[in-house]
Amino acid sequence: MTDTGRRLDRRGFVGLTAGGLLLPGLVRAQGIAPATEISAHERSLYDAAKKANESATWYVSHYTSETAEQIGRAFEATYPGIKANVVRTTAQVAYQRLTQDMRARVRNCDVFSSTDIGQYTTLKTDGQLEKYQPQNLRFLFETFQKASDPDHFYWVTSAGTVLINYNTRHVSAADAPKKWTDLLDPKWRNRIAVGHPSFSGYVGNWVVAMRLAYGWDFFKALEKNKPQIGRSINDTVTMLNSGERWVGAGPGATTQNSASKGNPLAIVYPEDGTLLMIATTGIMKSTRNPNAARLFVEFLMGKRTNEIHAANFTDTTRPDVPPYPGAKDLATVKLLRPTDAEIEKGIPEIRELWRDTFGV
Amino acid sequence: MLRRLSVIEPATLLWLLLVGALVVLVAWPVAELLVASFTAPRTGAWTLSNYAAAYGRARYVEALFNSLYLGAASAAICAVLAVPMAWACSRTDMPGRGFAWFTVLAAFIIPPYLGAVGWILLAGPNSGWINQAWVWLTGAEESLVNVYTFWGMAIVIALHSYPFIFIFTKSALDLVNSEMEDAANILGAGTWTTTLKITLPLVWPTILAGIILVFLETIALFGTPAIIGIPARINVVTTQLWQFFEHPVRAEVAAAYSMPLLLITAGLIGLQKLMLNRKGYVSQTGKGGERRMIKLGPWRWVLLAWCGFVCLLSVAAPMVALVQASFSRAWGRGFSLDNLTIKNYRYLLFEHDGAALAVVNTFVFSAAAATLAIFIALAIAYVVKRKLLPMGGALAFLCMAPFVIPGIVMAIGFYAAYAGPPLTLYGTAAMMILAFTARFLPIAYANGSAGVQMIHPEMEEAVRILGGGRLTAVKSVVIPLLKKALLGGWLLVFILATRELSAAIFLVGPETRTISVLLYDLSEEGNLEVLSALGGILLVITLVFVGTGMKLIGRDFMLRRGGE
Repeated sequence: MTDTGRRLDRRGFVGLTAGGLLLPGLVRAQGIAPATEISAHERSLYDAAKKANESATWYVSHYTSETAEQIGRAFEATYPGIKANVVRTTAQVAYQRLTQDMRARVRNCDVFSSTDIGQYTTLKTDGQLEKYQPQNLRFLFETFQKASDPDHFYWVTSAGTVLINYNTRHVSAADAPKKWTDLLDPKWRNRIAVGHPSFSGYVGNWVVAMRLAYGWDFFKALEKNKPQIGRSINDTVTMLNSGERWVGAGPGATTQNSASKGNPLAIVYPEDGTLLMIATTGIMKSTRNPNAARLFVEFLMGKRTNEIHAANFTDTTRPDVPPYPGAKDLATVKLLRPTDAEIEKGIPEIRELWRDTFGV
Repeated sequence: MLRRLSVIEPATLLWLLLVGALVVLVAWPVAELLVASFTAPRTGAWTLSNYAAAYGRARYVEALFNSLYLGAASAAICAVLAVPMAWACSRTDMPGRGFAWFTVLAAFIIPPYLGAVGWILLAGPNSGWINQAWVWLTGAEESLVNVYTFWGMAIVIALHSYPFIFIFTKSALDLVNSEMEDAANILGAGTWTTTLKITLPLVWPTILAGIILVFLETIALFGTPAIIGIPARINVVTTQLWQFFEHPVRAEVAAAYSMPLLLITAGLIGLQKLMLNRKGYVSQTGKGGERRMIKLGPWRWVLLAWCGFVCLLSVAAPMVALVQASFSRAWGRGFSLDNLTIKNYRYLLFEHDGAALAVVNTFVFSAAAATLAIFIALAIAYVVKRKLLPMGGALAFLCMAPFVIPGIVMAIGFYAAYAGPPLTLYGTAAMMILAFTARFLPIAYANGSAGVQMIHPEMEEAVRILGGGRLTAVKSVVIPLLKKALLGGWLLVFILATRELSAAIFLVGPETRTISVLLYDLSEEGNLEVLSALGGILLVITLVFVGTGMKLIGRDFMLRRGGE
């Protein structure tokens, strides 16, 4: 094993398998040959984790259950002998559980992933996170490297987008809104679907970004078009599919996933900016599985995880893995991304404003 | 003192044991919540600030009132839907009684999420099929119905809750014999007068119990208010509570916000007592009795039409959504042959990682919880009604308490009580079973309590005069008499446990996922096609279970068959 590790391409993988050099666990992974790249650093973490009989318990909320499970199993296949316990729930539940655990001094969780940046700043301030500099961070898009904590307590491991989605049966590509302010056109009266910032982190981030760009007047004007307010950002996809609403401020990934099945949906990357939503990951302080936890974090930034991202309609974090079908390369898109401080300060404010303007 | 101890029956020890179980199941988690509601989040000091935060703002208080209105509206609609059906199924010769039963069960099993989506498809103000048909037929500009309103929400909730009242009322009517109806007939009362003045008043305690349950369930419901209430711009307690769990998490405020709901429960139990006071509802005496079907003549078709109408609203509508989406490649494309597929079912049954385990988990947890809950509830109801232990009222309250605290908040109590030491049940099946048992104990209790109320103690006294102990009396008199009511209660708890989401979502571990959690995940992902297929699988399996159970229990023992 060299410093840079050994790259296994598909042919090499098959050859090695035939040669019986590979551990059987790898064969279980997905049926296709994974791009497994194990660096010296990962190797040493792996050996240490194996020696100490460690496993990694991962509290995660932002993936679909299947994506989270696939990542867990791919990890186990890449590192036989290290078990990954995937505990996937919704964001509120995951964090609530984590705080209950901390109060009861139960150390269930080793690695914690969530889209709510505020949770990380709180955990960091309370000294509940382990400091670590992942070596794979340098392979991510620059935006994501910059969005990770400069003090090395949490890092970006996944991303998503909020953009304009629409029903292609009712709206042609030419007529579809091209930028966010197009949604204020009276022709979209009773036609718009949005989520709710008190129920969805995606929506919360989007509202903060819109307010920064256009002021709260944007939402006062939007209310004149009587948008339908759902709960989750994904509710816009359901509303567009049913034909009840025609255009929305929705998620890129879920919309394209639904469209890939044949649903009459399409997306527009708005000219005035696509909201970039990041999900971060941290290691819990005094974890009983320090090596496995670190190895898992490295894995979350690895190629294999990003291939699983793309296959499951989640945005990729590395330029060397192509995005999911229908998505643009994030490096070519104008992105909106409020700073952590803007988000943390802004979300409680916009929730109140939202309630004042929309009444719910 | 010693002499008194020596006359304690072995049964008394059993009662005490059950009270102990009740404390572990209910009192402990509720106490954890109560403590949390008075605790400052970071310092752990005693404080009232959580209550100030929860009730210091008009918009939070307004949500509470919305919930109360919604509960009352849904409960009233449920009673209107269910009581005529229950009466028709239990007492009359209406044709298609099996069909009515099936309707009720199906309405209960279908995940409310699908019901709500079905109603959005039907009654959405822009694209709802009813509205499209209306516009096409009349040329009107305005749509006819809008599901995104207070009453739209109340009706959709009622359409998935009326089975509570149906099952309660029917099992009570099954126990009422015809003697008093005969007396009324002899005195010149017709069928309708007899029904309204004799039969229904006799089962009034049970109907009332059902109404209270629907009211409480509606207050604690999250799914439908989230899907319909938020677009309708109506905030209720549960949607408000959920917001307390967004960052910055204020779980203590959430606990404080929920505590007054306990007072409402206590108030309702008090009210129920008051309304039932000093009236006799005993219809099961030791003097035998029989039951005849009421011949309705042409009216039976009217009743059948009513059942058909309820079926149309509560089952057909969601089934349209379920069947269409579950067999679609892409449900947004609507009905067309090239859109047909069985891929969603195949994916769930053979390819999905967790689906098979979730199905098994769901049925094992639900069956275990239903059995436990019925056993404990019957015993407590018996103890309370026969006044075998002091403080019966407190016991009754404990049995009803878990229902009204919204699941997500109750789940915090469960997690605090069971997950860590000393029980350390985190991630185990036992934790899920205990939580389901505690959560649905109120249903089992309301059911058992209404049943015991109808049995005159004289039959148990007969056993005791002949030398039998309390337990013999229960075993040979109470349980056989209540067999059907208990089965009804068991089914209720079982079905509710298969749907339970709000506590489950908080308590699941990697190995204990249930169907409802899987459904929620799929709905979060906007994956309606697979979600519907899972709903279909759930429906088929539950119906098979329930059908088998009903076959095993046998026919109505008091019913005199024609020609016998």
